[in-house]
Amino acid sequence: MRWSKIFIASLCLLAPVEYAMAQTLDELAFETIEPSRIKLGESAILRVTSFGRIKDVALPTIPGLIFETMGRSQGFDFINGSTLPATFFLIRITPQFAGMFSIPGLAPNSRSIGLEVVKGDEPNPYTWRSQQPAPAPVVTASLPKGVQLQAGGAAFVHLAIPARPVYVGESVPVQIEVGLRAGIVTSVNGLPTLKGSDFTFNNLSKQPERREETIEGGAFVLLTWHSALAAVKPGEFALSAQAPLTVKMSTLSAADRAVASRLAFPLLQSMYSGIAPREMTIESSPFQLKVLPLPTEGQPDNFSGAVGEFRVSSDVSPANVAAGEPLTLRLHISGAGNFDRVDSTMFDHLDHWKTYPAKSTFTPSDAVGNEGEKVFEQPLIAAQPGERSIPGLEFSYFNPNTRQYERAQTPAIKVIVAASLASGVSLDGAVVTGATRGLRPDHRIPQNQVSELRPLYFRVPFLIIPTTLALLLAGSWFAVRPRAARATSKAGERVLAKLDAAARTGDSSSFFEVAREALLHNFAIRWQMPVDQITVAELKARLGTSGEAVERLFAIADEAKYSDYHSGRTDFQHWLSLIRGQLAGDRE
Amino acid sequence: MLIAALALWAGQAIAQPSQPPYSADGLYNLANTYARAGKPGLAVLNYERAAVLAPDDPDIKANLAYVRASAHVLVKPRNRFVRLGEATNPTTAAWLGLLGVALVGIGLVVRRIAPRLLWIPGGGFLLGVVLIALTASNAMLLWPRMHEAIVLIDQTPARVSPVPMADTAFLLREAESVTMTAEHEDFMLIRNGSGLSGWVSRANLGAVVPPVGGER
Repeated sequence: MRWSKIFIASLCLLAPVEYAMAQTLDELAFETIEPSRIKLGESAILRVTSFGRIKDVALPTIPGLIFETMGRSQGFDFINGSTLPATFFLIRITPQFAGMFSIPGLAPNSRSIGLEVVKGDEPNPYTWRSQQPAPAPVVTASLPKGVQLQAGGAAFVHLAIPARPVYVGESVPVQIEVGLRAGIVTSVNGLPTLKGSDFTFNNLSKQPERREETIEGGAFVLLTWHSALAAVKPGEFALSAQAPLTVKMSTLSAADRAVASRLAFPLLQSMYSGIAPREMTIESSPFQLKVLPLPTEGQPDNFSGAVGEFRVSSDVSPANVAAGEPLTLRLHISGAGNFDRVDSTMFDHLDHWKTYPAKSTFTPSDAVGNEGEKVFEQPLIAAQPGERSIPGLEFSYFNPNTRQYERAQTPAIKVIVAASLASGVSLDGAVVTGATRGLRPDHRIPQNQVSELRPLYFRVPFLIIPTTLALLLAGSWFAVRPRAARATSKAGERVLAKLDAAARTGDSSSFFEVAREALLHNFAIRWQMPVDQITVAELKARLGTSGEAVERLFAIADEAKYSDYHSGRTDFQHWLSLIRGQLAGDRE
Repeated sequence: MLIAALALWAGQAIAQPSQPPYSADGLYNLANTYARAGKPGLAVLNYERAAVLAPDDPDIKANLAYVRASAHVLVKPRNRFVRLGEATNPTTAAWLGLLGVALVGIGLVVRRIAPRLLWIPGGGFLLGVVLIALTASNAMLLWPRMHEAIVLIDQTPARVSPVPMADTAFLLREAESVTMTAEHEDFMLIRNGSGLSGWVSRANLGAVVPPVGGER
């Protein structure tokens, strides 16, 4: 019982100590980035090592950097020979543009770290390729005139402007140069700005020029931005540039730094070094700029406020058109100056042409738009054919170098306008345009009309006509008999007519004689043999049983011819039927 | 009786127009109007239709060539045989073919009736065969034009498949002649003069010989 009380009391005493140790471990974390200098287009890996119970880290939001969580793992890390359980967070960082970035600590009490991103064409000193070209030697330079180091000698900003007086509206190129001591300045926290309310500023160039120089014995990275400004009113004005930075600054006194240097553990040394990043803004010395008004004397009527040095030219496309078809007249104005004030209305009215409002496009040839080409395009439509001349275009501007107004003019352009599709003669004979070429005139009111465009021979109703005709003719071809057969048939009909006549008159002699002649002639044709060779035996052999009736008829014919044979009406009909049957046999 | 009824129906079907009538002159004047209005696609379509009805009309040929040249549309020149065959009016050719059928049939019947009369039916038969051959050649030359169409809209896309969102294979110029080879819903599969094929919306095409009861 006694020992148990002592044990519980010991636990109670040790609990605050364990809690304090756990809290210390929770707060113990550090970050590393590898590599700390990368090219644009590459990625760096940020590793957060935590010895506490951190379950997750919040990704920061830094313009120009994209953070992606790659994973979380458990493991051990070695601190001064001791193995401690740790949690590792891996984060991929991908830059969007070049520059120096400061990434704040992601774990509690961890310090911010820097990442330098260079352009793709700059050498990466961290690569281990033997073929890697040697880095260019660092140029030793001095500070620009009138410029002083700021932020404890870590940085400076310099505004470079032409020293001459400028004119109102004149586009003046400016250059902002920011010098950063490597290792001291951890990041540039935004684009530099110009300070001055009496000017208009163009946007800064997107990517600063970067170079390295040794200034006053220290290695400096120099970043240079370009822009252009224009004064809005005459007078003398002050102008300066500012740049926001993050700089490593020591917050400890000299005595404290000496104590910190005696600490045994590197981790503790880094924790108690007293050097911390501090955000600040440095500003250049003010620059006095004299702004002159534009002279009123000699100012052209069509002066639009353009100040600079310009060249003009013009062209048309296509060079040959038909009347009624559009062509495009272009005015090219190139050079250096305030292109936002370069304007031209082209032609409001042009004889023999229909004009349309002009449009303009500007193509800068430098980073800030101080130099380039502005093109005005105006559609024109020729009203009449023939050889036409488009007058030259004039553009007026003020030249600050010669200090006077100047007029630039383009030459006239000749255009061949052909007759249009609309030229021709209408139905009533009236000439639509003055052209003699073009379409042939309309035809008179049409007379012949068809129901559809398909030719007749592709239409079913029409195809029925030749088909019907062909069927009829084919039927006729089968229906008609050759001439010989028809003659034979007609002879038989004539015989039958004679027989009918003989039967009606009761002339049996003629009846049987005609019948015998007709049958013999018929048999001779059918059997292809002479009449005199047709015998009784032949009849029986070829005609069979009907041969006996024919033989009987021939016998009666002989009897009627050589005796007085008489036959009744019924007998005539019987023999007529027999004869018809035999005569019809040749057609079968 | 059946043959007579069919012939009667065919005659009535040909004689009674089921659609507003076409005429070569009317189509030519309509084409001129479109040409003056700056619509080369519709102008060429109506010139082509007029040329189907009157292939030997010099005004139609001249204006068709002029509008095509103005629209920068080139066509392959036809050879002499094709031009000769196409020069015959198809309506005339159809009736000549009918006459040829009659001559051949009558010649055969006469030959059967009077075998000794060789020259008369023989000459008719020969003439009939020539007329039928003329009609057949005219029909064969005109058959491709039954599937010809004119592009009515400039920069008409020919797509890889018959859906509106399909990728564009190539573009067609206004007044360009194409051959229709298949159809699917609102799209026609066409082949242009360069041999390229693609699906084109029906609304952008005009058939030279419109289908019966179809668009005019």
